[in-house]
Amino acid sequence: MSSVKVACLILLCLMLSACGEIADDLTPSSNDERPTFAAGTTGWGVGQNAPPFSIMDTNNTMIELPTALEGKKGIVFYFTMWCPICDSHMSHALSYVMPGFPDVRFYAVDYLAGSVALAKEAATNAGYANSGFIVLADVNRQLAHDYAATMGTTIVIDSSGIIRMNEDYRNGSTLQTVLTALP
Amino acid sequence: MRNFLTMTVFAALLAGAALFFPTSSLAASCCGGGSATGLVVPKFAKAVLDISTDLEIYDGYWNQKQEYTSDPPGSDLRQYRLNLGYGRRFGQRWQAGATLPYVWNENKYSGLETSSQGLGDASLFLWYDLLEERPLWLAKGAEVLIPTITIGTSLLLPTGISPYDSEESSFDVTGRGFYRLDGNLLIDKTMKAWNTSLVLGYGTYFERPINQEYGKAVAPYDKKPGNRLSASAALGYRYFVGTGGDTVTGTVGYAYLTEAEAEIDGASDRNSAFSKQSLSGTVTYSSTDSDWSIRGAWSHALKKDGWGENFPVTDIYTLGVRYVFR
Repeated sequence: MSSVKVACLILLCLMLSACGEIADDLTPSSNDERPTFAAGTTGWGVGQNAPPFSIMDTNNTMIELPTALEGKKGIVFYFTMWCPICDSHMSHALSYVMPGFPDVRFYAVDYLAGSVALAKEAATNAGYANSGFIVLADVNRQLAHDYAATMGTTIVIDSSGIIRMNEDYRNGSTLQTVLTALP
Repeated sequence: MRNFLTMTVFAALLAGAALFFPTSSLAASCCGGGSATGLVVPKFAKAVLDISTDLEIYDGYWNQKQEYTSDPPGSDLRQYRLNLGYGRRFGQRWQAGATLPYVWNENKYSGLETSSQGLGDASLFLWYDLLEERPLWLAKGAEVLIPTITIGTSLLLPTGISPYDSEESSFDVTGRGFYRLDGNLLIDKTMKAWNTSLVLGYGTYFERPINQEYGKAVAPYDKKPGNRLSASAALGYRYFVGTGGDTVTGTVGYAYLTEAEAEIDGASDRNSAFSKQSLSGTVTYSSTDSDWSIRGAWSHALKKDGWGENFPVTDIYTLGVRYVFR
């Protein structure tokens, strides 16, 4: 097979790939494509009312949105799969974010565990038992579904139940900015 | 001349093994997969075609304190890859080629099982034969110490599925999502049945804008992963099998990979730097004329503190077949 044919074959593969989502990486865009969410509606978008939930933590306590917000300026959900990046994010939050926001409650959401007991075991293995995070066992992935979350997704809900942030943790700077701006 | 040809093919095979084992993919669902590998076309050959399959099994990770940490109970995380590579010589000293992986992610947790597939990150490479060692029987004096030195560059293309695509789950990730340009150095020396090689690579990613994460539109920002350094060393020994000239080459190797902190809108991301060390073993069976070769390899990361940082611990099993065009 000539080198020209091989090169054409590879180019063809790349072009076929570029038809889908891969084009997002080959030719990345800087356009702001965030949708506008109507105030007063319920959903995962920033500015929307947070979807209600009822979920067990690893101490077998049922947590709901009103009780989670009680007495706090807001709450943070961090969705973890107990991976190295998750550990980096959570370690960073423990060291650099939590100390500055004692009036915010931090939850780590295990959305992969099959039971509360397994979520507790995973948290203990990873070194987050009895840490600043309250670990939630999202056994049916209802929270992950309702908040359109995946690994590293970080969500801030203010005391009135409005979502203020819903994106990847990255280096934690956006989280700190959002928490600082909480009313 | 026949011996010289055999020697150069032997060197190329070992160099190929060395090139392949340190460039294993990153983690499947959590860190971005796909692999960028290189091929070396033996001297006096026109081209080389390589097809290989990888099975990468995840077994815990090193955290930022370089402590080994186990995966969640009940988890079984695997990535399968089919790698297609082609390299071709242009003129006396130049060669160019490409590699293209296809990736399958299989993730099982106690409460969830996922399966996804897609193209990984492709790679284009260009090599230049800077220095060539002389056969022992032709070398005089200190000439016997002269190694073969090959320099080159490679470009990683973000053809895989990255966190910045429209895919909504981290389990679907097969690529990093960034272009990366590497400079590579390959030093190779053959002494009778023994061969040793050293491969060094240093790469820098191109900054890109990001306006979505897992299909969710976010306020646009710019990101640039940290520069990457890879180094690997390999030692091989060649046995002749029977009287026909077929050979079996055993190779052991060590690889080190590290990536510096990424930058997000110019600010450092202290959560992103990582490193990994691994050991490997490769057995290659080569036909008498060395046109065909089959290899099996095992790359092993030790489940011990201090052997990595902020990176998954994996075992990679590889089966590959290579054909040299003359």
